[in-house]
Amino acid sequence: MLARRLIPGLLAGLLVLATPIRAEEPDAADSLTVLSWGGAYEHAQRRALFTPFTEAHDVPVAVDSYNGGLMELRQAVAENDVPWDVLDMTRSEAMAACEEGLLKPLPPELTASAPDGTPASQDFLPGALGRCFISHSIFATVVAYRRDAFPGERPTRIADLFDQQRFPGPRALQRTPAANLEWALLAYRVPREELYRLLSTRRGLDLAFARLQSIDNIHWWEAGETPVRLLEEGQVVMASGYNGRFFAAMVERDLPIEILWDGQLQEHETWAIPRGAPNPEAAQTFIRFATTSERQVELARHIPYGPTRRSAAMQVTTHRDSGLDMRLHIPTHPINAQGAVTKDETWYARTQERIEALFRETLFREALTTQE
Amino acid sequence: MDSPSTDSVSPRHPLAVLRFLGLVLLGSVVGGVAALVAVGFVNAVVWLNDLLLISPRGQMMAADTTLVILATLLVPTLGGLLVGQLHRGLPGGRSHTPADAIAAVQTRRGRLPAKAGALSALSGLVSLGAGASVGQYGPLVHLGATLGSLITRLLRLGRSEDNITIACGVAAAIAAAFNAPLAGIVFAHEVVLRHYALRAFAPVAAAAIVGYVLATQLLAQGTLFHITEPGVPQPWEFALFLALGGLGALVAGGYMHAILAMGQLAKRLPLPTSLHPALAGALLGLTALWVPDILGMGQETLRFATLPGAYSGGELLMVLLLKLAATALCLGLGFAGGVFSPALVIGTLFGALAGTLVAELGGGQETFIFYAVCGMVAVTAPVLGAPLTTLLIVFELTGSYALTTAALASVTLANPLAAQLFGRSLFDIQLARRGLDLSAGRSRAVLQEARLTELISHDAVTLAPATPLKAAISRLSQAGHGEAYLVDGRGRYQGCVTLASLETFREGSEATTLADCPETPRPVLDPHASLWEAMQQLQKVTGEAIAVVDDERRFLGVVYESSIARAFLHHSDALRREEHGAG
Repeated sequence: MLARRLIPGLLAGLLVLATPIRAEEPDAADSLTVLSWGGAYEHAQRRALFTPFTEAHDVPVAVDSYNGGLMELRQAVAENDVPWDVLDMTRSEAMAACEEGLLKPLPPELTASAPDGTPASQDFLPGALGRCFISHSIFATVVAYRRDAFPGERPTRIADLFDQQRFPGPRALQRTPAANLEWALLAYRVPREELYRLLSTRRGLDLAFARLQSIDNIHWWEAGETPVRLLEEGQVVMASGYNGRFFAAMVERDLPIEILWDGQLQEHETWAIPRGAPNPEAAQTFIRFATTSERQVELARHIPYGPTRRSAAMQVTTHRDSGLDMRLHIPTHPINAQGAVTKDETWYARTQERIEALFRETLFREALTTQE
Repeated sequence: MDSPSTDSVSPRHPLAVLRFLGLVLLGSVVGGVAALVAVGFVNAVVWLNDLLLISPRGQMMAADTTLVILATLLVPTLGGLLVGQLHRGLPGGRSHTPADAIAAVQTRRGRLPAKAGALSALSGLVSLGAGASVGQYGPLVHLGATLGSLITRLLRLGRSEDNITIACGVAAAIAAAFNAPLAGIVFAHEVVLRHYALRAFAPVAAAAIVGYVLATQLLAQGTLFHITEPGVPQPWEFALFLALGGLGALVAGGYMHAILAMGQLAKRLPLPTSLHPALAGALLGLTALWVPDILGMGQETLRFATLPGAYSGGELLMVLLLKLAATALCLGLGFAGGVFSPALVIGTLFGALAGTLVAELGGGQETFIFYAVCGMVAVTAPVLGAPLTTLLIVFELTGSYALTTAALASVTLANPLAAQLFGRSLFDIQLARRGLDLSAGRSRAVLQEARLTELISHDAVTLAPATPLKAAISRLSQAGHGEAYLVDGRGRYQGCVTLASLETFREGSEATTLADCPETPRPVLDPHASLWEAMQQLQKVTGEAIAVVDDERRFLGVVYESSIARAFLHHSDALRREEHGAG
């Protein structure tokens, strides 16, 4: 198998790898196939990354889209027929895929230094540089509220989500433990460094459930667009959701909502190269290109996803289409990131099923009555 | 010896300034080394706890319940077995603790043994890694102290420098482990040095700063307790904080005595000493299946205790008692580890209990955290004998002046009360039981530590009991001594006679040999006696010297009064220079 020939050494492996693939697929060296998520996200990537890459390196980029998951990749690697050169994956899936040996380890010197010369290892946020992946942007699960719901006062802290005396009205929350448990403990003033340690005890989980149960009238949502709709229709006054969706609703539909950044749960989106990629050299060139500060800044001008480099986060400017100041809308900007929680993906990877079962069992016997 | 005039404010010799700067540099080197080792130690404990399924996070990540139960039972037991074996390689069969570092500095002996330090650190690491209910700061402090002492010895510096670098190692370890440089500096002064000299302060401060800076760079783990925006207590609540201090002193006393009593009880166990920790581990694991909160250092328990409503009043009391018992069991039966972390947990639980009671009686829930922190301080400060350090830890970790003032109210009563009832600290009580009484200060500790051996002189007139009176008198006159010691043919000491008494007898009686003379009553000294004991004996004697006699009454020589006085002055002077020197 090709992968075995990689083991002796990365450089030697790369040279050896390029030759036979080229022999099988003569076109491979001339194009790059990226697997991404489609929709507005892919549109932004095309404008900020793919087209400029083709212009700079004369390599056309083909884009394939998926909805996450490792099934297809697993199958492709097993059959030794991998059609993609670069994968856009969530960090937890990249971690799992790396452990399974589905990804090619990346050389540590792959990423470029910051424009001011800061080495990449210091410029990237902690945990952004993995063995087989590089985080390129950060999205967040946040709480948004209707601006007209609380005259004279605005929620400023995540604890306000649970304070229905000062901020009365129904809430919409995602029907998953992630984000909800973290926020419940934050409302007890647990420091964010200790969240997952305390959530590892029965006592911590019970405390979190008790705080969630103390909320009157929760609408539990599953599809990402639901919380936006519930806010729009005025069915709830506060809702959790993805920051990109709330941004779109604010900018494109002029919805009177505001994001409460305190307690935002950040997740990483990464680039990775599958084992047996047809054109790994071009893939590396692309990743190096796409993770420079300049490109990260550009991507953030199309969608409100935070750059993973400190140097880029500081330079984010305006939205290409609307001229809005994007700094106020990306999760990683220092002002927004003050109360940010980084999702512990290793923890969730191991505990998800058990925590989810407990979440359903504890909350949904009572919560069913309030659900629409 | 320096003449007094050199102590005045006259400008110092440039070489002395350089030497002093060198000492500060040495302090920062010691600080760097101690902090790196401390950070490694802390990370290793976290890693072991996760790996061995002791930490809640580790247990949660291991999906298999049976595996978690087995680990809870077996890991502390096997850890105890290993600790027992490690301790066989240590003198006294116990791991060394901060008390040993304190004793080394208080007696000016310095020279902490490297092997015992390394073995103690290793057994501390095993104990903590295996989830014993012990603290990590004790091993860290002793490790820092040993490293400081070792570096001085490698550089062939004197005892005075040794004492200072021990304090440097301690300060850096605390500064690194707590992210609290001020607390590190004060702890080194308050607990280890017990005096304040600019000469020691500068290197200790340098060590603490280096330790702190390294730790903030390297230790990813968050602070021990980060507390955001506590409320503001009502004025009347300060009276409660004060009272909490008094009650906390009693809890601290109970805690210290439980540890000591368990140590006594362990001596009567029909089990080899090396198996004691394994027994403690098995009992701990068994109890932890029922109440997991008592396992390990208890950081999660500490945090929960600061959250109102996380524990009911009954649970608080139960966990408090079980944690106290578990810690006494682990430490008493020979696990290696500190007393500080468990005291923090017990104190916080105690404070939370008080806060819960106050809330039930109509007080506010908003100030719950104040009760938790006051309880923590009230129990911890007496155990360590370090009120200022404990306050500074609260201040540096919370950044809250309101919390620190409340804690001040608690230590105001807690420390003096505990000192009156039990002793200055657990370390002092332990040292007193080993024969080193620090209650009268360092000068006495130094004298208690100084041995007589080097003062023994053989320049004395010894006479056989059968010596005729006349011959004895002429021997004494020729030798120019006023006293003679009677030693029989087998070298046994028989008594002491003075020239004056011999003269009296020659004139007034028919006695012909010394054996017939009534001897002058004199105390004798053991060769292993301390300078302190010699000075006690000296108060009962008028004469030139005291005989030194071993267990079998063999005569070994004499100690002149003047040499005792000279030795006393020598030690006092060394102490004075160390404690009042500016550089």
